[in-house]
Amino acid sequence: MLRITGGKVYDPLHGIDGQIRDICIHDGKVVDSVDGGRTIDASGMVVFPGGVDVHTHVAGGSINFARAMTPEDHRRTVAFIRSQTTRSGLGGMAPTTFATGYLYAGMGWTTVNEAAVPILSAKHTHEELRDVPIVDKSCCVLMANNEILLDLLEQGEMERARHLVAWQIWAAKAYGVKAVNPGGVAAWKWGNDAKQMAETVPGYTSLTPAKIVTGLAQIIDELGLPHPIHLHCNNLGAPGNISTTLETMKSLDGRRAHMAHLQYHSYGGDDWSTMRSEAPAMAEYFNQQKNLTCDAGAVLFGDTVTITADGPWQHLLYKLTGRKWGNLDVENETGCGIVPYTYRPSNLVNAVQWAVGLELLLLIDDPWRIFLTTDHPNGACFWRYPEIIQLLMCRDFRQECVTQLSEKARERVHLPDIDREYSRFEIAIITSAGPAKALGMPNKGHLGAGADADVVVYDEDEDIARMFGHPRYVIKGGEIVIEEGDIRATPEGREFLVQPSFDREIEDFLRPLFEETYTMSFENYPVEMHRIERPEISECIDVST
Amino acid sequence: MVLVDIRETKSVKASDIFLQIRPGKDFEVITILRALVKEQPVDESQVQETGLTLEQLQDFVDRMKKAKFGVFFFGMGLSMTRGKHMNSAALLTLAAELNAFTKFVAMPMRGHGNVTGADVIMRWQTGYPFAIQFGRGYPRYNPGEFSTVDLLVRGDVDAALILGADPGATMPQPAIDHLARIPTICLDPKVTHTSRLSRVHITTAATGISAPGTGYRMDEVPLPLRPALKSPYPTDEQVVRRIHEAVLKKPDWLQQGNRMALNQV
Ligand SMILES: [Zn+2]
Repeated sequence: MLRITGGKVYDPLHGIDGQIRDICIHDGKVVDSVDGGRTIDASGMVVFPGGVDVHTHVAGGSINFARAMTPEDHRRTVAFIRSQTTRSGLGGMAPTTFATGYLYAGMGWTTVNEAAVPILSAKHTHEELRDVPIVDKSCCVLMANNEILLDLLEQGEMERARHLVAWQIWAAKAYGVKAVNPGGVAAWKWGNDAKQMAETVPGYTSLTPAKIVTGLAQIIDELGLPHPIHLHCNNLGAPGNISTTLETMKSLDGRRAHMAHLQYHSYGGDDWSTMRSEAPAMAEYFNQQKNLTCDAGAVLFGDTVTITADGPWQHLLYKLTGRKWGNLDVENETGCGIVPYTYRPSNLVNAVQWAVGLELLLLIDDPWRIFLTTDHPNGACFWRYPEIIQLLMCRDFRQECVTQLSEKARERVHLPDIDREYSRFEIAIITSAGPAKALGMPNKGHLGAGADADVVVYDEDEDIARMFGHPRYVIKGGEIVIEEGDIRATPEGREFLVQPSFDREIEDFLRPLFEETYTMSFENYPVEMHRIERPEISECIDVST
Repeated sequence: MVLVDIRETKSVKASDIFLQIRPGKDFEVITILRALVKEQPVDESQVQETGLTLEQLQDFVDRMKKAKFGVFFFGMGLSMTRGKHMNSAALLTLAAELNAFTKFVAMPMRGHGNVTGADVIMRWQTGYPFAIQFGRGYPRYNPGEFSTVDLLVRGDVDAALILGADPGATMPQPAIDHLARIPTICLDPKVTHTSRLSRVHITTAATGISAPGTGYRMDEVPLPLRPALKSPYPTDEQVVRRIHEAVLKKPDWLQQGNRMALNQV
């Protein structure tokens, strides 16, 4: 039992905007009142629901490949020393698993969604997630380049495709479905890409990226997944790609979708030298589309390592940077590319990217539909979120940063003209309440009775980045995990899954295909339940349009 | 299939073209191939040193560029001979550069057992694949300094716990001698060179035959291992857990509270 008393509470779901409230906790849940137990005096402090990361890459084959590729970064980063409560580990661009849990919790984030899991190596992802302590987890399975599914979509076999999708979600023990560069990653296995929504995907006769996107979005709504299609659009990172993104949004035709890292999809211009921000046009369109949510995928200047299932984009990035490049193809399902990268304010393209992420956060008017992410580690590492919070809350600081940009860059962006400053209430929405709602996790992101007792207590501090980077207390599932900057406990997190219903006959269809085209036996393909640490199966919902 | 080796091996029969190069000339061959891929002039005398002709190399490059999907498989003949990791790096660069023309990848051939699995897990827990030193309380990596064989040869090790490997059969004699000198504990289903020199040999169930587990394939795809037989012996995991539980009962020597090393040295 625990009572947090006297703090200024920010609980956007219940409209609580800094009022003094007591938060009572019993059995890992927020309750109306408690009798006895410890009391934390939070007078003069600020109380938030635990942070929720809707899109990050913290576990699995790709991030682990990135770890292998960056030993030089491990050497210069912060190291966690083994203690009675903590395992050893390394921070940095691609933190090790134990360190990932400590860094997220240390910043007040208590739920993370790993955004890209191939079914074929999902066992690996879940094994890594087991080793990420404290935070609760979920993951999205990669689907828009799965050749068996693409064949069904091309043939218009929607019924069978729906059973297949449901079967695959359960096989991967996933929570949601991620579509990355629909059709493009499949084409990349032959050195091609799919850039236009209405153009046939190389290797197919009539299948287009638009058909894949709408087909999958439709299926996911029919299955009633709590989280809609998690969509990484085609043509990521390319100048002028706003047209592809808008076309994708239009093709969704009112269906639910979460647009991942929108920053990377909101550029104008014809080539690298004319690239510019189209954030205002994007925000204007997005503001009208109530069916959509998005996350920023914001960029911060500095070193990072980029990893994405978007193989063709990573090859381009490698050609641009001439730095290391890793590529993984995952049989018939997906692939991934890895390139270490440094974002520089002096670089025109990087300057535009930096501005676009912030502009989208500032110009999209409904904080319930845009969330704070950096597409970790692509735009910046997740442990830099407090820097972004500072940029959003403090106009003067932002304008000071703008002066780092070249004059040429400043003409290509809109940031200097934006005066909006986020309130704490809005920060609580984009870091917690909003992403929890978009993920369809009713017990996350708020502090009402029945919520999971994930609570962060901050000292009030004029230095915004310091305040949000160093919470005084972090409570996870009712247990104090961070106190006075120290990791006090490292409980295991839970993993959220969904189990949409499907017809068992889909296995009769799948088995022969599988045995013909895959390199492992069908029985070995699904992830067994015993591999999931503390699984929690979420209910599917009724999505009627 | 094109086979490149310093001698005729059994794989020659399976290959369409065999390119026999001089020992220790891997780096030179790869560098010339990189030049030819980019249509740069190459020095005839340097070509001769490799044991191949310019025609052979040019033909090889043309074939690679024409391939729809090419794969380099490479092993210890490249990574453990003169040039070592520089050879591997050169080959990876060649594969990367070929992607300007076609799809090309490179993949290391791994040794016996679940080497890839060990490598994958060490990476997610510590950031590094092997040669990891925890002496300062956090992982440090330096092949050549912290690799098992180097530590043993230098006599820096006070005790050894060995599982899933038989270093007694493969390591250089000074390393084996040191293992025999110190308390070595070996977990193995059968009697091996290592188990014979160990102070303690705990017989365990064979993973994949009589113990469950996970094996990682060469391309890092995990496969579940399902036991077909029952064993009277405990699994490796059970033994290690029991040792760990016993160690936990000892007075804690670890510091209280957490520390982070902001600057590694
Ligand atoms: Zn991502």
